[in-house]
Amino acid sequence: MSTAYKPVGWNRNKLIYDAILLCGVVAYILLYLKLAPSLSPSVRAVDMPILRMRAFGSLAFLLLTVVLAIGPLARLDPRFLPLLYNRRHFGVMTAAVAFTHAMFVLDWYFSFSTTPRLTALFTSNTSFGSIAGFPFELFGVFALLILLVLAATSHDFWLSFLSPPVWKAMHMSVYAAYAAVVLHVGLGAAIDGTNPMTAMSLSASLVVLSILHLLAGRQETAIDDASSRIETETGWVDVCDQDAIQEGKAIVGVLPDGERVAVFRFKNQLSALSNLCSHQNGPIGEGKVVSGFATCPWHGYQYRLEDGCAPPPFKERVRKYRVKVSGSRVLVDPVAVPLGTRIEPVAIAGALSSASPSTPTTRTSP
Amino acid sequence: MQRAHRKAHALIWTLLAVALPLSLAIAFGSKPKLSSDAPSIQLKPADRPEGS
Repeated sequence: MSTAYKPVGWNRNKLIYDAILLCGVVAYILLYLKLAPSLSPSVRAVDMPILRMRAFGSLAFLLLTVVLAIGPLARLDPRFLPLLYNRRHFGVMTAAVAFTHAMFVLDWYFSFSTTPRLTALFTSNTSFGSIAGFPFELFGVFALLILLVLAATSHDFWLSFLSPPVWKAMHMSVYAAYAAVVLHVGLGAAIDGTNPMTAMSLSASLVVLSILHLLAGRQETAIDDASSRIETETGWVDVCDQDAIQEGKAIVGVLPDGERVAVFRFKNQLSALSNLCSHQNGPIGEGKVVSGFATCPWHGYQYRLEDGCAPPPFKERVRKYRVKVSGSRVLVDPVAVPLGTRIEPVAIAGALSSASPSTPTTRTSP
Repeated sequence: MQRAHRKAHALIWTLLAVALPLSLAIAFGSKPKLSSDAPSIQLKPADRPEGS
């Protein structure tokens, strides 16, 4: 894929995903405006502009929590993978809702004087020496700036232009945005104590996200620690028994340097590819063979089993490893061959053989 | 790359899981409290300033 800009490629799944997301946002705002005053006396006492502001603010926090939960949930249970498919649209929606919240804040609290609104925002509270009275607005501004930058660079053009490692590192700043939002809400809304729901929501979000991410991290560490056995004579890595690999699926082994390799079985032949999709580092080995191509479960990027190259017109490539069968054990050479090198799949003993891949399935840029 | 990314991820969430609750606890703990003999103040609805 070149770095030329390509419009977002819509497909049915994306349209359904975004429609549900949009309906959820509208429903939340309407329900909040309708129900919150009747559920909480403190909310009942506020004016409509403040109520709108809180509706969008609380929704932005909820959306950010869900966005951050999708990753570990998909790691812990593949049933959450459909949520991951269009997660970037979720993130863009979060930025839009947070921006709306900020606009309502500026239009209400900082619009009734001759001081420019942004000047008023940054100068109205200068209690930097106080903890409880710290200008919490600054945390919100910091988080909003990060969310807007991430939303603006969420398109695949930026992913290609910056390269996946840089793009991934940059988008990890969403965690800094989350920390800033927690402090923004905690120091601003929760600390006044008038609405216990705010403090409860904040705590629930923090606890749930911390547990999910630490559990997912623990699972990954356990996989790393149980690294595949190395055959002493050849130095090749013993990944599994050949019968353990289901047709059209892969088993993931761990190389001595910590990289993971996916050994696919297709038409009773074995091929080993890096487990790292070149699109967004998705786990290729957790996907399956579709139309003869190893297909990443995250966004459907595909690679030929023989050389690790995406089928034309795409240009992505992943590392390719030599594989052999010794007895019934599947062994992988831990040293990758040069990118694009073709290696014929290895037939499983006693099994009949294969055909070439057919036309690749359709792929669109999220 | 993969392992380094996973380690960075685990480190970030360990820090967040510890630092954020601690920061909030400190903030809540340092919230000014009324003295026990402070007179109770209750505004009548008519006395509420506009927009409060």
